[in-house]
Amino acid sequence: MIEIPLALFLTSVLGAILAGFSCSTMGVFVVRMNLSSIGYCMSHAAFAGAAFGLMVSIDPMIGAIIFSFATAFILGPLSEKARLESNVVIGFLFSFMIALAFIFLNLIPGQAASAKALRILWGSILSVTPNDVLLLAFLSALIIIFIVLFYKELLSVMFHRKLAESSGINTKFFYFAVLFFTGIAVSFSLRIVGGLLVYALIINPTSTTYQFFYDFKKIIIFSPIVGIISCIVGYYVSLMSDFPIGASIVIVSALFFATAIAISPKRRKKNGKKPV
Amino acid sequence: MNNVIDLKEIETIYEGEKIPVIRNINFAVEQNDFVSIIGPNGAGKTTLLETINGLLDYASGKGFVFGKEIKKNKNIIRKNIGYVIQNFELDPRAPFLCKDIVMSGRTGKIGIFKFSNKKDWETVCKSMSLVGMIDFANRPIGKLSGGEFQKILLARALAQQPSLLLLDEPFSNLDFSSRRQIEILLNRIHKKENITIIMVSHDLSFVPAGCRRVVVLDKGQIIMDDKKEKILKSEIINNIFKKKEGGN
Repeated sequence: MIEIPLALFLTSVLGAILAGFSCSTMGVFVVRMNLSSIGYCMSHAAFAGAAFGLMVSIDPMIGAIIFSFATAFILGPLSEKARLESNVVIGFLFSFMIALAFIFLNLIPGQAASAKALRILWGSILSVTPNDVLLLAFLSALIIIFIVLFYKELLSVMFHRKLAESSGINTKFFYFAVLFFTGIAVSFSLRIVGGLLVYALIINPTSTTYQFFYDFKKIIIFSPIVGIISCIVGYYVSLMSDFPIGASIVIVSALFFATAIAISPKRRKKNGKKPV
Repeated sequence: MNNVIDLKEIETIYEGEKIPVIRNINFAVEQNDFVSIIGPNGAGKTTLLETINGLLDYASGKGFVFGKEIKKNKNIIRKNIGYVIQNFELDPRAPFLCKDIVMSGRTGKIGIFKFSNKKDWETVCKSMSLVGMIDFANRPIGKLSGGEFQKILLARALAQQPSLLLLDEPFSNLDFSSRRQIEILLNRIHKKENITIIMVSHDLSFVPAGCRRVVVLDKGQIIMDDKKEKILKSEIINNIFKKKEGGN
């Protein structure tokens, strides 16, 4: 087991909990709105942006935010108007962003910076700073306010966007608000979970929760709980085994999802028939 | 201007396309009318409905609903238009309860930064009772049959307490008994609630008893607009539907 100072331990645990909360809460909307492909590209764009930040010697988080927002604001309207197939989006942008990230990583000067870059790739307990925790706490508070204030609008948009629009809701605002918060959640969580894996923290806890509940309110409550538990257990596994924290969190959340699929009451066969 | 709907020379074109889906549409509807718009598949019926509630922008002409120009007042007029969308496929595991979906119809009416109150929930219960679905309030929406789902969508539109109800193929994918139930329901709502109803259908036999006026749409244009009895006896209309069926 790795021994770390108490202050760093508290900072990193708190960081992991808040990353779990913000990513898996946004996951509820990303999964329901079928934005998975856009979000997937945004997380990899954030990774490329962080690598770019290191290359030009600015805070990697700033680079991550710029790149993920640029992706969201190009892809969002594009996928709305051109109705792009998600496979096309992933196929093109995922590889493009990863290629960009590796070029930037290759151009980072010095050994120390390369180690930093690898931490962004895999995630690291040691790279979490009190500043990261503060930002994640601020973001989590914003997300809670957003959901409480606009719960009825969000539920309406999540059910059917056109119907929501037909009853006088500005659905475009909520579509871009979801992209906006997802982009920030991904960028802020990058140092803990890592650029390659952060997106799993958005998808896995929500997908796990979806296996158990038919009530949207319960999904919103339990998805972050599953996300937080995944992060705490993943953190513990990482400390015990010296695995990268991002990989440990994702493995734990993937195991939760696999178990949920196996025991989901929603998927139980009725009268010998498979659920439709 | 006392008409609920007033469309003049309306033409609607989908983004990126050159040929209008509907054109030269002149269509006025008075308060408390019950109008059926019928036409074969691809005639432009849904486009016409979505032009009325501003979901689609018209390229030329002038359109008014409740005396307000559609383009400039989309969000205001939509708060008073109940829209029942064409039956769509819903994930059986969708995480929504029927009562929440019906309440979502009131979202625009309640307004932004405001929360639903006891009165809103009473309205939801009232509209669910009206369509005979009050016992389904806590059921997951994905577990409903086609007819039950259609009734919940209708309750959702009614919970909005609209002055105008737009129904897009409310009888599609329904068996005879569900169709009959919804038809009776529409006639009752029209009489009881004093709502103006516009209903589109691709089938002549789906025109409800309470509907007095029928508009026939073909290839994006209104080709007939008259009393139901006259339209149903017309040779032209029989030819249109026969031709389409033959073509298929």
